[in-house]
Amino acid sequence: MSSNRRFANSKTKRKVIFPKSPTKMAQSESFGEPLEHGDPASAYNMPSIEQVPAMHRGLPFIVDELETETSRKQLSTARNILKFVNDSPLPLLDKATHIEFLLEPLEEGLSSGYTGLDASRPWLLYWCINALALLGEDVGDYNDRVISSLKPLQHKEGGFGGGNGQSPHIASAYAAVLTLVITSYYASKNLSRDEQLNVYARSFSWIDRKKLLEWIRKIKLPNGGFKVNEEGEEDVRAGYCALVVLALLGYDEEELKGDSSVGQLPILDGVLEYFKTCQTWEGGIGAKQNSEAHGGYAFCVLSALCLLGEPGELLSRYLDLDQFIMWLSARQYAPEGGFSGRTNKLVDGCYSTWVGGCWSLVEAAANGIQSKKASLKLNVGSIWNRRALIRYVLTCCQGHNGGLRDKPGLRPDYYHSNYVLIGLSAAQHYYYYDSIIGLPSSTARSPFKHSFRWKVSRNVPKPSSIEGIGGGWEEGLVSNEDSRVGPQHPLFNIPLGAETDIQDWWEAARDIIEVS
Amino acid sequence: MASYDSEEEELDYSTDPRWADVTPLPQDDGENPLAQIAYAPEYTLAMSYLRAIMAANEHSSRVIHLTSDIIRMNAAHYTVWGYRFKTLMFLDRSNSFEDKSTGWSWSWREELEWVGSIAKRYEKNYQIWHHRQLIIDHLDDATGERAVTEGMFELDSKNYHVWTYRQWLVQRFNLFDEEELATTARLLEEDVRNNSAWNHRYFIVFGKPGTDSATEVLEREIEFAKEAILKAPQNPSPWSYLKAVLRKGKIELTTLKPFCEGFSPVLSPDEIKSSHALDILSEIYDQTGDAAKAEKALELLASKFDPVRKNYWRYRRRLLGSQALPTTSGTPIVQAAA
Repeated sequence: MSSNRRFANSKTKRKVIFPKSPTKMAQSESFGEPLEHGDPASAYNMPSIEQVPAMHRGLPFIVDELETETSRKQLSTARNILKFVNDSPLPLLDKATHIEFLLEPLEEGLSSGYTGLDASRPWLLYWCINALALLGEDVGDYNDRVISSLKPLQHKEGGFGGGNGQSPHIASAYAAVLTLVITSYYASKNLSRDEQLNVYARSFSWIDRKKLLEWIRKIKLPNGGFKVNEEGEEDVRAGYCALVVLALLGYDEEELKGDSSVGQLPILDGVLEYFKTCQTWEGGIGAKQNSEAHGGYAFCVLSALCLLGEPGELLSRYLDLDQFIMWLSARQYAPEGGFSGRTNKLVDGCYSTWVGGCWSLVEAAANGIQSKKASLKLNVGSIWNRRALIRYVLTCCQGHNGGLRDKPGLRPDYYHSNYVLIGLSAAQHYYYYDSIIGLPSSTARSPFKHSFRWKVSRNVPKPSSIEGIGGGWEEGLVSNEDSRVGPQHPLFNIPLGAETDIQDWWEAARDIIEVS
Repeated sequence: MASYDSEEEELDYSTDPRWADVTPLPQDDGENPLAQIAYAPEYTLAMSYLRAIMAANEHSSRVIHLTSDIIRMNAAHYTVWGYRFKTLMFLDRSNSFEDKSTGWSWSWREELEWVGSIAKRYEKNYQIWHHRQLIIDHLDDATGERAVTEGMFELDSKNYHVWTYRQWLVQRFNLFDEEELATTARLLEEDVRNNSAWNHRYFIVFGKPGTDSATEVLEREIEFAKEAILKAPQNPSPWSYLKAVLRKGKIELTTLKPFCEGFSPVLSPDEIKSSHALDILSEIYDQTGDAAKAEKALELLASKFDPVRKNYWRYRRRLLGSQALPTTSGTPIVQAAA
């Protein structure tokens, strides 16, 4: 498909399916009844008419009198968001314009204004391509260009730089690997087994896995943590990225253990204990020991723990889970409905992933723990407010000309587009850990085998009773199937399913090497 | 070769005689690359010269100028920062901070000043503060560094990178001292909701390895948090801090009962001034076996005072009676001042 046709398609789609509704920004600070107006979009798409909950129509019940910089910023943000968040009916997800926004950098390139991201080139690819996949686009066509764009980033001593000739950096390797896994997955859909293997061979056989692993050994610290690069800073982001790269590039137990005769230590040594030290007095998780609790780092640690074991077991063994849940829950604000990343900071659409993504993992852990205690299959239901996050995303994070953003008044960008949409996917779907299902040999032998047990359901269960009786489903999270985004793997942040196909390839590749 | 007039001097590497010996190395973006950046010509040129310099492993005075030039255009270029640091170390080791032939001179002080000016332009940046950390670590001298971070707090008192650096300073130079405590007190005086300052305070008071928390310290911190709560009872930070101090000192949460009831009498919902007091009270009532009041506190939170978290409050109700939220363990060593 040519790039021009893609564009033309998107534009037509927008005109046909999503007529622009009149803007409702003016009907701002009325705290009275929910707004109902003859919006042509509502008649056209017939979304469910939901009464806007009172919490989105005014400031919180208690607002302290004492004014400080924090309270001034919070109040002015909440007042601004009140102009958008009580929109009724809930706007649809304007997929066509978002797709257009995300295709532009891939098709047209970026202006010199993006020079500040010149050391983050793989990130630009990952954000746009994963976001397009979430919006239902077939990103398989990009596979060959992804490969040719990423090849010059591989460093001669192993690993990936943020651009050609740049030093290896673990975040670059992370984003590069995710992008390749996504586009290979799409490019190999509906192909014969042999053709699929050809796609994966093209995508992955040029990566020097051995040197990459050697390089990752260099950024591993004696305390169990990782640095982002050899001269760089240490934080849990580096640890999470390293584990994801190891998991998706199919390293086996032997490789991770290393060669003790040359002084190599098992690469996973001390990792869990390291993550444990990052939980703070607030219950949240910081960049490293003693750092302030922060949503982004919390996601890194939770995902990393779940890469290495069963959520219920790992999260309760390495965290004070009750304290963590208390902190995580406090990240959701009203009237905004969205999440903040830290205590007394403002909401930001990207925390839809960093905080919203933690919820699937936390709930899986809570379900596992409670079921074990009761010897029954129990479900605690949603511990967070999915509906409020969806409202924040749809009313506040959609830019008029496409793309998703931090909050109203700020410009959309590729980073926020991806992470707002992953968060929306977390809110629209029920992600659960299946402890029972038998794994195929390709994933069963992975040192990260637990990460291949994640499943998705469109039905989000309400809490079951203590006796284990089902509580039904949460209704109306998606008013219209067109507003639904694709399912994602809750640890890797890639389309769900892509994580197993890549493991099939590594198994096949191993066989090919053993045979040849 | 002449010296550079200033760090900001505009330079055309392709015509400058000081660079005539270098053959620039172009960037390989691969075939038909995606999301290619249309760099400004100055950036492309400077990067081509840097690639050539790096390939030759040259660590000379002109690298300092070249890397300043690139960092001015892209402050997140970690490779350039890394190479600059290596070069600085090389110049230092070889006593080459003064180049008599060109009149060029540089010093760690000048480097720190330059880094400081970049930091103010790019507040959200990992590399700048890591670079500073590497330098101060090498110099083994933190004189004036606390003031540098405080200058940054005037721009953004919650800057994560700056706080990370400040914590490193404290650990590296063992600054768990009165001045550090006073800084957190001053920042909290300016904005009692500055959670970063609360975090730093906890670190200063309890983060020094191998120290036990004395009773006086626990009592002082409990009082400090309580005074902060009195100023703005709906501020979550001091409530979390208070609970954390109790956990640290193994002090029963129930000792907070009168204090919390003062803000949020469960039976008089109209007088409730803090959702955080209600939250703690639900735990306290659960521990003291007052199930009806514990439920009432959670119900008030879900319906009125914190409705966006209604599912969480429901989850907490499910856990009532299960002792699932023990905030203490062991016997109390001191009683919190009521």
